[in-house]
Amino acid sequence: MLDMLIMQAGNGLALGFLYVLIALGLSIIFGLLGIVNFAHGVFFALGAYFSLTMFNIMGWWGIPFAMVIVAVIGMITEIVIIRRLYDKEPLVSLIVTFSFSLLAEAVIRAIWGAQGQPFNAPDWLNGIIIAGPFIFASYRVAVMVCVAVILAAFWAFMRFTKYGRILRAGSRDPMMVQLLGINLPHVLTGTFGLGCLLAALAGLLAAPIWDVTPGMGEAAIMPAFVVITIGGLGSYAGAIVAGLAVGLVQSLTIQFMPEASTAAMYVLMAVVLLLRPRGLFGEQWERFE
Amino acid sequence: MTEDTGSFKLATSRRRLLGTAVGGAAVSALAMPHIARAAAPIRIGLLQAKEGSIALQAQYLQQGTFLALEQMGNQLLGQPAEIVWDDEPSAQGAGQNALQLIQQQQVVALLGGSLSDAALAEEAVAGQYRVPFIVNNGAAEAITGAKCNPYTFRLQPPVPVQAAAMLPYLKGIGKRWYFLSASYAFGQDIVASFKQLLASIGGTVVGDDEVPVGTSDYSAYILKIREAQPDLVIGGLTSGDLSNFFKQWTQFGMKDKIPFAEIAVGDTDLWSVGRQDVAGIYTSLWYYRDPNNSAKDKAFAAAYQAKYNRPAADKAWMGWYCARIMFEAINAAGSTKPEAIVAALQNWSEVDNGVTVHFDKWNNQLVHRFLIVGVKKDITNKWDYFDVLQSVPSNDAQAAQVFGSASDSACHMTPL
Repeated sequence: MLDMLIMQAGNGLALGFLYVLIALGLSIIFGLLGIVNFAHGVFFALGAYFSLTMFNIMGWWGIPFAMVIVAVIGMITEIVIIRRLYDKEPLVSLIVTFSFSLLAEAVIRAIWGAQGQPFNAPDWLNGIIIAGPFIFASYRVAVMVCVAVILAAFWAFMRFTKYGRILRAGSRDPMMVQLLGINLPHVLTGTFGLGCLLAALAGLLAAPIWDVTPGMGEAAIMPAFVVITIGGLGSYAGAIVAGLAVGLVQSLTIQFMPEASTAAMYVLMAVVLLLRPRGLFGEQWERFE
Repeated sequence: MTEDTGSFKLATSRRRLLGTAVGGAAVSALAMPHIARAAAPIRIGLLQAKEGSIALQAQYLQQGTFLALEQMGNQLLGQPAEIVWDDEPSAQGAGQNALQLIQQQQVVALLGGSLSDAALAEEAVAGQYRVPFIVNNGAAEAITGAKCNPYTFRLQPPVPVQAAAMLPYLKGIGKRWYFLSASYAFGQDIVASFKQLLASIGGTVVGDDEVPVGTSDYSAYILKIREAQPDLVIGGLTSGDLSNFFKQWTQFGMKDKIPFAEIAVGDTDLWSVGRQDVAGIYTSLWYYRDPNNSAKDKAFAAAYQAKYNRPAADKAWMGWYCARIMFEAINAAGSTKPEAIVAALQNWSEVDNGVTVHFDKWNNQLVHRFLIVGVKKDITNKWDYFDVLQSVPSNDAQAAQVFGSASDSACHMTPL
């Protein structure tokens, strides 16, 4: 039994890596823009669909174009819709983005059809890797490596680049950033595009694991919200720790009580919020409190 | 001047009169067809999910249903007819929408039931409000079993019937079975039926996981199955959940290691997965490439292909077949009275490949042939995954044996 638990724990961490990537984009958008983006799942689904389309046209070289397309769609969405929500109550942004997600899902269905699209991992990534007590699907190991690289790149971007510093400053004191002569609306547009790019990357990595259907974003959005709530709204470190924790809890619940596996993450969230109402790494944010 | 004025007034009032008359006629002409359309059409309610994990199957069911009415010239009893399609957001929502169709849209019959729990909710409404209803997809035993009512008919053979037909193929594989089923009526029926069959051949249950509907990640379940090393996995998953499972099953290298079997899967569930990840033995109600399909079935398949530019999935046929039966029954009844339609449904029959297709009178279950299919070893056509292994039953005597008798049924049918 101990072997099995260890095995499930390893598998749960692998699943958690995917949750981290989905939640990170959501966390950035909330942290920097203050928007509760219920449409995040749509950009996740668009990442999968555009990857599939561009792959069919250009092969693997088409994948980067697919990511750029989704990021651009995200930026257009920010300019047309999201920008109007910055000075509104959080509830308004929640309702508007939820409505947008329903509309976008219908558009996806109209363009690509309701039929699930086969999108499989390369043959050389099928199979398992046994590492001590752990058994991983090769593709999931590839996902873990990809997510780790993306997280490292994101950290370096935020830490060492001028744009990253502007983003961090803008999230805390947007007025001061504007007084320093920085075009904040452009920064916010870019930020929303970045969040959508991360969602698209998650969609690309999830496509060979999950069924590529217009509603695939729904399966992603709830775990993502749970992760950022547990981790602390707007906290990147929190998103990482909470994502792994949710994956771990789900896998271990399946071992003992499979019918409760979906409910397990909500129980974890309730427990964390009872102990730390702002989440594990949540801080007091002047803009929201 | 006065005369002129008078004639002007007269002319004006004539013009007004004429204008009013012409305008009124124009309005009437525009309004009449609308009134005719609004008042006269015979309305059939269709309850099929528009969102969620079953939405894809439901889309094919809906397309088949609409095609059936088109093929009848959009007319029933010599009058215009139309289908009013409503959603099945949940079991409770499905029941509420069934009631809305009956009370507000005044439908004379219902079709639908994408998932068993929705079908059971709709069935209760149909029984209470005395509206003929054919369940076109739900397979839970209770629909024509313990929860039966005289107004509800059902297409899918109940789970125990389909499970029993598969047993000869499965017992040769091994007697250590693992169950992976969705946490709702259909999945639970599958587990109960196959466990009974397994006990009858002296087999062992090595694992039994009930999975929440809409589960996207199956890796932890796959690890449990891998650890248990069963001879066979019996699935009770549906639609998108089954597709997710198969993708991950292959990624864990399990596809050719442990066989998989399930009843009542949809073609679309497997088309979504992709040809390299699919394997297993299944029951299916119909397959568009089955050489034994009747002339009407072949004509339907051709019409569907022409209209939608893709092959007719089994679910499209199921929607079409149930609708055709209902429409033929309404025409045969010569009336939209519920009791007349129910009587016509109970008397409806046709012969297909040596089997008299009909509804059993004690439970309103359709008796007809279904298929046992296996996934091809080498799939070259993205729309052609199956080899038809057997058609069950092959004659009326075997049909009576397979579908059972009144004494086998949990249905206690109340009078109309």
